Amino acid sequence: MDFPKKSKIKVLKSPDEQSLDTLLPHNCLFYILPPMIDVSLKDFEDLAIERLKLLRILEQAGVKHPKILSDEWKEHVINELNIAGLKYFVRLLRGNGNTEQDMNARRRDYLSHFILRFAYCRSEDLRRWFIAREMELFRFKFSSLSSKEVKEYVELYEMGYRPISEDQKQEVRQELQSSVLHNIDGIDFYKVSFLAVLDLVRQRKCFLKNGFAYVSSMDFSIGVTLEDSLRFWREEFTKTIEPDKFDKSYAYGIRYNYGKEGSRTNWSPHSCMKVINTQGTSQDACGCPFKLWDASELRTRLVNYGINPVNVQDVISLATKGHFQIACSRYFELTHNTKLDEGISHPNGYFENSQILMENREPKSKTPQMSQQNQRRQHAMTQQQNFKRKLEARVKAEHDYDEELWKLSEQEEQRMAELKSKEKAQIEMELSQLESMDWDDDDDNVKELSDLM
Amino acid sequence: MPEIKVKEFDPELLPDMLPVYYKRLFPHKQFYRWLSYNNSLQHELVFDIDLTDYDDVRTCCSEANICNKCWKFMSVACKVIDVALRDDFGFEHILWVFSGRRGIHCWVSDKQARQLDTKGRGAIADYLQVSMSGGEGSTTKVALYDKQHHSIKRARSIIEPLFDEIIVEDQDAFGTTQGVEKLLKMIPDENCRKDLEQQLTSSMKDSRTVWSSFKGYFESLRVRSQLKPKLKYVVEEVQMAMLYPRLDINVSKATNHLLKSPFCIHPKTGKVCVPFNPNLVQKFDPINVPTISLLLDEINEFDGKRNEIAETPEDKSRIKDYKKTSMFKGITIFEEFLRKLEQSLKSQAITISDKKMDF
Ligand SMILES: [Zn+2]
Repeated sequence: MDFPKKSKIKVLKSPDEQSLDTLLPHNCLFYILPPMIDVSLKDFEDLAIERLKLLRILEQAGVKHPKILSDEWKEHVINELNIAGLKYFVRLLRGNGNTEQDMNARRRDYLSHFILRFAYCRSEDLRRWFIAREMELFRFKFSSLSSKEVKEYVELYEMGYRPISEDQKQEVRQELQSSVLHNIDGIDFYKVSFLAVLDLVRQRKCFLKNGFAYVSSMDFSIGVTLEDSLRFWREEFTKTIEPDKFDKSYAYGIRYNYGKEGSRTNWSPHSCMKVINTQGTSQDACGCPFKLWDASELRTRLVNYGINPVNVQDVISLATKGHFQIACSRYFELTHNTKLDEGISHPNGYFENSQILMENREPKSKTPQMSQQNQRRQHAMTQQQNFKRKLEARVKAEHDYDEELWKLSEQEEQRMAELKSKEKAQIEMELSQLESMDWDDDDDNVKELSDLM
Repeated sequence: MPEIKVKEFDPELLPDMLPVYYKRLFPHKQFYRWLSYNNSLQHELVFDIDLTDYDDVRTCCSEANICNKCWKFMSVACKVIDVALRDDFGFEHILWVFSGRRGIHCWVSDKQARQLDTKGRGAIADYLQVSMSGGEGSTTKVALYDKQHHSIKRARSIIEPLFDEIIVEDQDAFGTTQGVEKLLKMIPDENCRKDLEQQLTSSMKDSRTVWSSFKGYFESLRVRSQLKPKLKYVVEEVQMAMLYPRLDINVSKATNHLLKSPFCIHPKTGKVCVPFNPNLVQKFDPINVPTISLLLDEINEFDGKRNEIAETPEDKSRIKDYKKTSMFKGITIFEEFLRKLEQSLKSQAITISDKKMDF
């Protein structure tokens, strides 16, 4: 939706807004205090829709260019924002500024964030999606700050980041260099409690000493702190606002279409979507594994299924961003060495596709002498040819891949069987624990509190 | 630990012995001190390492059994984790406890550790989790690249000097056909695997020869610049895969898991879950950990001697019973841990009250 320039300034500049500005000291905002001003119904709606457009653009960019903050990704976001008439957001993605235009952009950013936060606090899935997008936005904003701006930023928000002097840096030079991904020369480092950068800790992507993580301004843009801030608000909202009341108070304006549009895949209620939306724990054998398993669990499993680390990271980052189905499709592509024209949207679809691929591969692999001919055929094929034939050809050309492929499919079957027997064992265990409180044979370790109570 | 005669433990007698143990020996006072350092719902950060997770690399014993050779796995694990918790995370109040049978527990009690949420615990556990295992029957693997985090380098510097002694000699890991097969499985390249298989299985060789041929093979490829990048660290990867601590990280990640507390009696072995000093873990002897039966004998014996030399009754009562037994050392370690913990709480309290004075 396009706004005439004048109305933007007029609408958002009243006495209340004067004090509002003190809450917005920087183009790269932390959304700490919610707004306490009156906003007209129309503005409320418009701001919500603008924010939604922005987040959708980020989502689309992530689908097209999975590497967040890559040049292509950034370019995509900027282009789309310009096309959508959201030029003020573009301004916020270009470092800090203090002109009237900057202030206006900050106000719209701030208000629209909180409005949409209302709309997206209603369920775990909405929250997840919202936070993932907001994190991307924050990272984009932060990554465009100059190193001087980062310093100001850290002081401004009193983030407890202590700059490390060049001497201190040289003292731990070797350890530091081997513990971060980029070159450390000429880059400012800050000392921060390891608790503030748990995602870096988890992946061993920062140097740790005495409870402090040494992070550079590049590492900052991971934006972990925003997530923590959002986590707080998410809890606050769900505590104080009854769903009923929320609907009555806010149902008038915000028509977000999450689940209906928003990506090239059809996200409307599908079996996968249903599975994803069903509550479950990672111990359950039901539910979408890409949602239930946390990053480390997923990593362990994927590595064990023989996926190479680069691709593992790929799948994990999709899953942690809330793209469970895309992560699943990517996993399918990797394990079947193929490219899917359509994403996985139904568990049955996964197996059907898998079956088709396997059946087509088996007889071909028995005649390796065909491979040269097949390779020629593969070259001749065009992109227009259908899904199945394309896959077939690719596989024929890589006949020696079949052995590995079959192993993987066997592993997959075994995994499913294990999941089933695990579920059974779980039930049996619970029953037996009800009967007896004795430490069992493998009792050196642990009991769940819940089992004992 | 002084030499102790191993006394047969009979689980049948446990119900009779426990009341005496809890009345006369269990360090109640220290325990209350430990529990009273917080009154809210806090939970230590805990780690659980169990020898059964090493069954694919230990040949000396299996399952619940344990000997001084396999204790070395625990010793390495303790050293690697302890230094990471102290140097990297800055934790100071760490209690290591023998789990009573075949493993070790670690309790991190620093305030910051106790207040960690699930995400924080998960991050630390993942940081310390290096090897990948698909569970029973599969080969544990570690992948190393040119860029190695300082914690990985440090772990290597602990593990590599001990590898020959623990794996090659004690465990005789490559002295059998199965052992050689396992070693070959860890090579992520089929051609090299086949090459080496021929070399290593052509005639029966001892563990030491197999390991030096293995290293020699890749070294000669390296010298001729024929070593594929993915095989660059294959030797180090094998060492790490076999000796890097195998944590049960789910125990550390959750706050609703319970570990057996220190000074519990293991119901199957009768052994006390005694704390030990991580700096001397290599000298800890899990075989001669006192059992409840031994302890009860020890107090009786002690009391008997006292009576012989006709001490006054009050005198005798002043000596705490546990001080008369071989559990003494474990309790001293526990007391020292508590003393430091209380000290740090006091100094925190002083800092807070100083701040209040500013107003
Ligand atoms: Zn043994």
